[in-house]
Amino acid sequence: MATRPTGLKAADLKVSGLQKRYGDVVALDGVSLDIASGELLTILGPSGSGKTTLLKVVAGFEKPDAGDVRIDGADITALPPARRDIGMVFQHYALFPHLTVRANVAFPLEMRNVPRAEIDKRVSETLQLVELGGYEQRLPKQLSGGQQQRVALARAIVFNPRLLLLDEPFGALDRKLRETMQLEVRRLQRRLGLTTIFITHDQEEALVLSDRIAVMNKGRIQQVATTTEIYERPANDFVADFVGESNIFHGTVTEPGVVSLEGGRRLFANHSGKVGQRMGVLMRPERFGRGTNVFAGEVKEAVYLGVSFKLRIACDDGLELIVRQPARGPLPAPGTRVNVAIEPEDIHVF
Amino acid sequence: MNIMNLRRRQAMGLAGAAAMSGVAPALAQEPPKPAQIVVNHSGGSMGSAMRKAFFTGYEKKYGIRVVETSPADFGKLRAMVDSGNVEWDVTEIGGQDAIRAVEMKLVEKIDDKIVDRSKYPEKVRTPYVFASSVYTTIIGYRPDAFKNDSHPKSWADWWDVKKFPGARSMRNHPTDNLEFALIADGVPMDKVYPIDFDRAFKKLDQIKPHVNVWWSTGQQPAQLLLDKEVVLATGWNGRFYDIIKKGGPIAIEWNQGALKQGSFVIPRGAKNAYWGQKMLAEMSIPQQQAIYASELGYPGLNLESLNYVDAKVKPFLPTQYIDKQFWIDDSWYAENGTKALELWNAWLLKKA
Amino acid sequence: MSSRWLGAWPAIPALLLLFVFFLYPVVRMLGFSIEGGTLDWYTKALGESLYLQVFWNTFEIAFWVTLICLLLGYPLGFLLATTTPGWATVGFIFVLLPLWTSVLVRTYAWMVLLGRNGVFNRMMLEAGLISDPVPMLNNFSGVLIGMVHVLLPYMVLPIYGAVRRVDPALVSAAEGLGASNSRIFRRVYLPLTLPGIFAGSVIVFVLSLGFFITPALLGGGRVVMLAVMIEQQIHQTLNWPFAAALSAVLLVFTLAVYAAAQRFTRSADA
Repeated sequence: MATRPTGLKAADLKVSGLQKRYGDVVALDGVSLDIASGELLTILGPSGSGKTTLLKVVAGFEKPDAGDVRIDGADITALPPARRDIGMVFQHYALFPHLTVRANVAFPLEMRNVPRAEIDKRVSETLQLVELGGYEQRLPKQLSGGQQQRVALARAIVFNPRLLLLDEPFGALDRKLRETMQLEVRRLQRRLGLTTIFITHDQEEALVLSDRIAVMNKGRIQQVATTTEIYERPANDFVADFVGESNIFHGTVTEPGVVSLEGGRRLFANHSGKVGQRMGVLMRPERFGRGTNVFAGEVKEAVYLGVSFKLRIACDDGLELIVRQPARGPLPAPGTRVNVAIEPEDIHVF
Repeated sequence: MNIMNLRRRQAMGLAGAAAMSGVAPALAQEPPKPAQIVVNHSGGSMGSAMRKAFFTGYEKKYGIRVVETSPADFGKLRAMVDSGNVEWDVTEIGGQDAIRAVEMKLVEKIDDKIVDRSKYPEKVRTPYVFASSVYTTIIGYRPDAFKNDSHPKSWADWWDVKKFPGARSMRNHPTDNLEFALIADGVPMDKVYPIDFDRAFKKLDQIKPHVNVWWSTGQQPAQLLLDKEVVLATGWNGRFYDIIKKGGPIAIEWNQGALKQGSFVIPRGAKNAYWGQKMLAEMSIPQQQAIYASELGYPGLNLESLNYVDAKVKPFLPTQYIDKQFWIDDSWYAENGTKALELWNAWLLKKA
Repeated sequence: MSSRWLGAWPAIPALLLLFVFFLYPVVRMLGFSIEGGTLDWYTKALGESLYLQVFWNTFEIAFWVTLICLLLGYPLGFLLATTTPGWATVGFIFVLLPLWTSVLVRTYAWMVLLGRNGVFNRMMLEAGLISDPVPMLNNFSGVLIGMVHVLLPYMVLPIYGAVRRVDPALVSAAEGLGASNSRIFRRVYLPLTLPGIFAGSVIVFVLSLGFFITPALLGGGRVVMLAVMIEQQIHQTLNWPFAAALSAVLLVFTLAVYAAAQRFTRSADA
């Protein structure tokens, strides 16, 4: 195992009030974020949500119309990318096709006029770290996707950046390799203590990797929270829907502890809303089991997923639910009558 | 050359022999009129002058359209005759090329029963080549650079760059220049041939640094003078006449000019050779030649044609100055032209 | 096997055309050059100092034209590839204009601009920059200017294409990794556009070798290129075997240049 490169200087990042428009399109609409030193924050959002623009502004490839970017308190908004000391892994790696693995990784050090001996040492250390020792003389096109990914990562961290940016780096990898790489990046990031922003549209990936997740949509941050909080207690419809499978309904508080849905169904749920307040209701499919709120209905669709069955149920009261049940016994045929239930504390009201 | 070609040639030879034997009366055997004939010439202003002087009349007379092509191209003539695909019925040809073309059997004989050359000087009445006009290479200059008639009046003057300073232009070709050099070096005009290459090039060495442009196309000298790129240029009299006619700032010194004859031939195997002969006949009419001379400054060789030329035009015709000038010896060039050209190329490339 | 041949069918008209209008004439020409079973004309072409000098001149001019085209064409191609589409269109019109203009018009335009009494000289004289007209025409520089003007598009287009093929992410990556603009150019753009540079240089060089009208009209007769020599042999002296031999030598040189460049490009590519 290689040792940790010396002289790391991870920093905290603070962006505030970022605005960016492209013509009529608002890409960033007042984005503020704090990322602690050594933290991995994932920015999760669909395409067009502004997450890539946010990354470009942080890296310096785009100038914001308003707002600022600070690293360790110093305003870097006007600084060109070359002087920000930020490591970045691009979507398709952007490895220099005409340079060997070694030359690719040495590139940022050469740009900083690091002495040759020092370059050799740090390049080989970093390549060891990403388990690519012995590949120095290969060209990028002679490497597999995963190996290219590692080279890109090595190139981004070899110069001890203050911040590491990962722009959907695993998109091009197959599922299995992606999972391996995700864990590896997580491991590396922890070990090096790198402050990292990770961009993805894949909510599962976000849950695996992050300390905290910032969910973005339409140029705004919808919610910044720990992974569990994002999943269990989403702040709004968008977050609830975007992260994980969900049954989302809307209703009105008719008495304490009760939400009446449109259509009349009354749900017992733990919440602090006042009578008459309109609220959203989220029921995760895997939370159904025994409980106070019972739904009777008919199976419309059933899918076998290994550990569980996934059922689409049309309830007698007009609701449609996605429910997961442990895969025990035969898969219920469409048309089968079933009862499912959920406890009030498993219902999230927002 | 393949067998097919050979056969065709033999067949044509026989036909030619039959025609020459005079068995058949010309009128009775007049070949059918084609819709058009093709006349190939140098192009430019020459085309419009020929149309005015000869083609319009020809078209009216015979009802045959005259199609013009250009430029005169010896290589193309040979290629046409060799391949048996002769597009031209009449073509212009350079003086020394004409002699070689006759030697290489590329041209038809002139039919003197059709083309009346009785009023032509004896010397130019050759069997295969029709002498169409006379032109001369002389000194063109800018009068504003040489006021009060102070311009060079001989080739010795031309070489005298101290007395006659200023940039010069000469043709990028051995013909004319070798002769001018020898005359400048003291050789009498009638003793120029055979040319002494060594002496000529040695003399040319002296003028080389003072020649700004070695021109390669006929319109260059006049243009160079107009643009004040040079103040002295050798050139063909007609090109200078064209500018002078329009009031341009160019004047001519005729002394020691190099006379040449413009020539036309009928390519061997021309599709409408008979009607080509008729065209040459049109071109030999003195009144028509006078029109041509007034247009271009190139008089025809029918001695009567000068009678029809306007008195204003006469001073610009080289035939007025024949005794101060000399004739380029085409037969010498037919023999030595290739060598002369090679020596010329080598001399031009030589770093001064 | 048969299916591979079937796949070649669509190319047959083009191949036929090439054969009839290119290969056959070239073979005929080579036949001319050894007419009578003798190599005398080659001995003359490669033995006499006159023709060696002309070969050398031709290559020298081709070299300078290529170099100047490259120095002008690279920034131009780069600019066209990286500017907005609107400006690129305007730029392309200017770059391609010479290709649509007749040689004579173009040449005359240069005479008006570059002559002793031309626009440039008069401007410089009036501004007091020079006291005598600078000879820009009827010499080596005139030929270079004229040829560069005509051949520039052949350099600009391949370079434009090469620059366009460079992934913008690579430039961002280099920038983010700390590279200055000059280093981005040297370390990223230049090596990645090398194939375009080679392609443009080879095209310009090879076209230069065969240039004819421009050197004749703008060189004042002092700049003799091989094509002029070949033309003389064909039209004036009618020495076709010798013309064919000169052409064959030029062809061999051209192919050699092409092959060398091809090798170089491939090794740079690998």
